[in-house]
Amino acid sequence: MDWLDFFQSITDGLLFGSIYALIGIGFTLIFGVMHKINLAYGAASIAGAYVSIAVAAYVPLPALVTFLIAAIASGGIAFLIYLANFRFIPLASPLATLMATVGMLILIDEIVVHATDGMPQPYPALFADIYIEWGDFGLRGDLIFIFVLSLIAMVVLMFMLYRTRLGIATRAVAQQPVAAQLAGISLDRTNALTFVITGLLGGLAGAMIGASVGVLSPLLVVPITVKGLIVCVIGGLGSIPGAIIAGLAVGAFENFFLAFRGVTERDMYVMLLLFVFLVFRPGGIFSRSVARD
Amino acid sequence: MDFFFGLLQIIGVHTLLGLSAYVVLQTGQVTLAQAGFFSIGAYVSAMLTVLAGWHIIPALLVSATLAGIVAGIVGFPALRIKGLMLVVATIAFGEFIRLFWFNFDYQIEKKGIVVGPQGGEGFKQIRFFPENGWSTLDVAIFIWVIVALVMLALWWTDRSRAGTVLRAVGEDELAAQSVGINLTAVKVGAFAAGGFIAGIGGAIYAHYTTHIEHLNFGVMLATFAIAYPILGGLRNVFGTLVAVIFIQGFLVEGLRFMGDWRNLLFGALIVLAMNIQPRGLIDERSVKLVRGLFTRDTRN
Repeated sequence: MDWLDFFQSITDGLLFGSIYALIGIGFTLIFGVMHKINLAYGAASIAGAYVSIAVAAYVPLPALVTFLIAAIASGGIAFLIYLANFRFIPLASPLATLMATVGMLILIDEIVVHATDGMPQPYPALFADIYIEWGDFGLRGDLIFIFVLSLIAMVVLMFMLYRTRLGIATRAVAQQPVAAQLAGISLDRTNALTFVITGLLGGLAGAMIGASVGVLSPLLVVPITVKGLIVCVIGGLGSIPGAIIAGLAVGAFENFFLAFRGVTERDMYVMLLLFVFLVFRPGGIFSRSVARD
Repeated sequence: MDFFFGLLQIIGVHTLLGLSAYVVLQTGQVTLAQAGFFSIGAYVSAMLTVLAGWHIIPALLVSATLAGIVAGIVGFPALRIKGLMLVVATIAFGEFIRLFWFNFDYQIEKKGIVVGPQGGEGFKQIRFFPENGWSTLDVAIFIWVIVALVMLALWWTDRSRAGTVLRAVGEDELAAQSVGINLTAVKVGAFAAGGFIAGIGGAIYAHYTTHIEHLNFGVMLATFAIAYPILGGLRNVFGTLVAVIFIQGFLVEGLRFMGDWRNLLFGALIVLAMNIQPRGLIDERSVKLVRGLFTRDTRN
């Protein structure tokens, strides 16, 4: 094993891991507020990216605007998911919500397959021609751009959660829904807005996946959902810093095994990493002292 | 006619898959690892009949037992985590088993041809039924005898003390524990029983399709496994059967004339059904409604 290859694969993985971090944040935020999993989230993210290339096919747009359109479209889809799967199903039936989001995942996936005839669609990359080199060690420009963009998204999210009224309301609902309601916060509105925010992040992540992989395909949905859930559990359910660190770590870990064990075995090691965490630290990286369901 | 027998086979196998998730769901645990146990049953039984030349019945029992043991081992970590963590852990476990088969290579030469599981290519030539002259009808009858036995066993369990214990754990763990129910035994037992049933289903599946590969056992199959009991309702085993007939018989086969639009409708119908009947199609309300049709109630 060459030290240079080692660092190269870890660095590439870290940069790509920022996408996993964004997806993980989405799962974690919804879990924090509603104590439920939105399994259709990965599908909404990819669907947002699809909408953006559909728009770009009619109107020529700079790539950065395409990213923004992806985020906004995914935010809209996330709101629809909230209406269809969470708003009217009673809180006491968690299984029904879980199943409904699976139905939504299939629905979104099939709409995408229909609209594109199941063909993978090329996605515009940004700064793909830039390659920074130090001797044999190099950094891909598009990955750096993705990393920086996700960092910006995370900083904006943190600012929103800790400095604005909406963010404070969201955190209040996450801590104590009843007390939040007594303080005059509308649960319904806060939940819906949280969904839209996670949708925005997801759409950005979907666009970044498209840009770094080069194509968008409906086949991306399930792997992205699984990886996002793993990141969210390793980071600790409901913890945003945990999701960020876990996302980067999973990206680096996965890329390391991709380089040294091949693509067929890569995901097995990611699952093993999850099991190690579940056995030795079931609460995740930033586990709280009180165990939560 | 063969088409209908084939459909009966599919419905039978999916009923077994749904029932395997039903047992675990009764204890209030959501499992997405059933596809993994299903694949263990499929691969192991196929290796026993093809490579070792066993008869299907002992192969089925051995592979199902193995799937049950693996499921029991998975059940232990399930004691530390619950709820959504368990969902993720079981997804990861199911995927781990699938990837194991993806990387699993073991072939030997039999009667001049090389047979055995071959990584990403899958496991071809599982020809126990054709080699022994079983017709489609014979296979369908064989499958439904097994399904009937499993359903009978589960129905009887539901009505016995064991079923009450399972439901007690599912409704409220703390209350169940405080009346002296051993949570460890119940949860691990439910997982093992679910794994065993999934293993039987997988063993049959491998033999009637004659070709299995790791892609058959992905997350989507695992979601179907829990979809049947959730859509049908956890009130009794017949809910699962009704849901399987509805999905496999009506949505998948009956609506074939709709072509690709069928899958779209499928997702939308699940969302709709869960909004209207959050506790499943056969819940307390619908049972009361059907009973009301057949009994004359003079009180109101």
